[in-house]
Amino acid sequence: MKAFDYKFQHFEPVKSFKGAPREEMYVPGHRTCAGCGPALNYRLVAKAAGRDTIFIGPTGCMYVANSSYLCTPYAVSWIHAQITNGGAVASGIEAAYKVLARKGKYNGPFPNIIVMAGDGGTADIGLQAASAMMYRGHKVLFICYDNESYANTGIQTSPTTPYGANTTFTPPGKEIPEGKTLFPKDVPQLFIGGHPLLKYAATTSVAYPLDLMNKVRKALSYEGPTFLHMLTPCPKGWQFDEKLTMEMGKLAVETGMWSLYEWENNEYKYTHVPKKYKPVGEYMKHQGRFKHLKEEHIAKMQAFVDEKIQKVKAAAKPVEAPVPTPKKKA
Amino acid sequence: MAQEKMLTGCSAAAQALKLAEVEVICSYPIRPYTAIMMELSKMVANGELDAEFVHGEGEHAQLSVVLGASACGARAVTGSAGVGVTYAFELYSPVAGGRYPLQMTIADRTLDPPGDFGSEHTDAMSTRDQGWILGWASTPQEVFDNTLMGYRIGEDPRIMLPQMTCQDGYFISHIPDKVKLADLKQVKEFLPPYSAPHPISTTCPVSHGPQIRPDQGAPMDAQRAATFLDLPKVIKEATEDYNRIFGRNYDPFLEKYKLEDAEIAFFIQGAHSNTCRTAVDTLRKQGLKAGMARPRWVRPWPTREIAEALGHVKAVGSIETSTSYGGAMRGGNLIHELRASLYDLDERPLTTSFMAGLGGETIWPEDFEFMAKVLSQMVREKRAQKYVYWIGFEE
Repeated sequence: MKAFDYKFQHFEPVKSFKGAPREEMYVPGHRTCAGCGPALNYRLVAKAAGRDTIFIGPTGCMYVANSSYLCTPYAVSWIHAQITNGGAVASGIEAAYKVLARKGKYNGPFPNIIVMAGDGGTADIGLQAASAMMYRGHKVLFICYDNESYANTGIQTSPTTPYGANTTFTPPGKEIPEGKTLFPKDVPQLFIGGHPLLKYAATTSVAYPLDLMNKVRKALSYEGPTFLHMLTPCPKGWQFDEKLTMEMGKLAVETGMWSLYEWENNEYKYTHVPKKYKPVGEYMKHQGRFKHLKEEHIAKMQAFVDEKIQKVKAAAKPVEAPVPTPKKKA
Repeated sequence: MAQEKMLTGCSAAAQALKLAEVEVICSYPIRPYTAIMMELSKMVANGELDAEFVHGEGEHAQLSVVLGASACGARAVTGSAGVGVTYAFELYSPVAGGRYPLQMTIADRTLDPPGDFGSEHTDAMSTRDQGWILGWASTPQEVFDNTLMGYRIGEDPRIMLPQMTCQDGYFISHIPDKVKLADLKQVKEFLPPYSAPHPISTTCPVSHGPQIRPDQGAPMDAQRAATFLDLPKVIKEATEDYNRIFGRNYDPFLEKYKLEDAEIAFFIQGAHSNTCRTAVDTLRKQGLKAGMARPRWVRPWPTREIAEALGHVKAVGSIETSTSYGGAMRGGNLIHELRASLYDLDERPLTTSFMAGLGGETIWPEDFEFMAKVLSQMVREKRAQKYVYWIGFEE
């Protein structure tokens, strides 16, 4: 195939909060819950990506709560996709811009094409479309904003809902005291494991916004498919006080329930690795979804997390933080 | 001068799509439509067609990919057959409701179970209430012509609707016939470039498909319904332009074969109409005043044209190449709308239906003779004995 300059965009990292773009691409006027992690996450992603961006929004909270009554909070172009097909609609958009650019029908910078899919739209019903998009090598950033349930339909279990969570499809009862009995899918591994053209994958937590924005920018600078798994605490689904969203995002990392890493060039780089992990109970005790659990269940969760931590410790060689770390408050 | 070639229906579709300069193509293999994609992939590989050829991971993805492409202002095509058509079902309404005028090229195949490669129209007919323009060709030539006409009609700013252009699997898709091709110059005169009114773009941000309140739903439904009322006018204009530019002679809605003085008539769509025409000639030699009406489009349904063309006939039999189990007439789909189209006439023909050509079976000349006997008996007795006859199963 002939070489063609598609004018792909490349981004410099955001060095500090003060240096972050002022311009908001996800603006007020939506109907998300107070303390909504996914909404805050959306704002940071859109800010990092900037004007020349197209969002694909598969059905989920970030469709229903954002686009009610024919109003949307997107200052850039946005298109709804079914919960099933975010990756496929994005593939079509990317293909269209390639051919339109080649034919001289579009002359601008190649748009940042970002799928903002929930955990169901990524790891469950949307998995096939996401996988095929990455396999084919479309220049698309596929984001899984993970609030660990089908939250928009009333908190049903998804493949990323943690063990022991009380959801409306996994209620604890006499026969099944722990509620959810399964452990979650490892979503980045689904993609890293089998997509030769995938360039970059990383995890983020909304409590580490600078790290988050820079991972978005790095992902958008690759000329191929990239993936971000973004932890977005959900006060309604997890049943915690809505003022604790950032705290939950932080405690998830500090207990090892969630780890922050980048994967590029076949290497893992971990950031914000706690020197000493807090017990998972510290994270779980704030959340109503876990309140029915007995000690034995929390021990089971701790054992699961300990195993994950071992992997982090094995892989986390002393590397320079790949993205700038927020400075501690004086 | 436009060339004439022996082409299968699949090749004819591919040639027309090349002339339409489609920009995004999304494939997934299923017989018998696959050959269309095979030809398009060769054209892209050889550099004859500058398009993005996306290998979809299934029919659901195929429609999703072309939806995205069409939303950005690219002319897009996909296609399918049989259970592939039904696998994509979630997307029919979003594509039509989003007013994305992409084209889906179909070579019909039976649905499972059991696996059967034969042609049957149930696959595409099952999408008829999803808001697409839907029609059947009867020859490879008509496949070629409908492909170009489909884009012209669907992309018309007054319409903006997706089109499903269908051909019978094997009978048309895989049997070569003479096809008059066209010059790019003729195509350019007929088919202006696709221009999306509000494309997904970075220059003018738009939102496609936000949620609505219940009271915002009905106005949108009414808008789509109104578009279908405008469709006949646009189809007529497009067909007349096509006939003029390419030297064809299509009736926009209904092929009328020897209907003027007909007492009995067959109502039939697709490939079997070719046998039906010959059967009409044979029956006429035997002294029976037979005729044939063939709808070119099922959506929009040509209600008025059917009433005008068949009102004077004494008995009409619809030949059903699709199933509607448990329907009002206990047979296929066409009979319901045929009867509805004739209902308001002061004197209306008697009607019945014939289940024929199912599972990919041929409808033989003697089958048409049997049907003619049934229709003649209806005329004599001034009533229909049954509303559905299963051809090959009747005494």
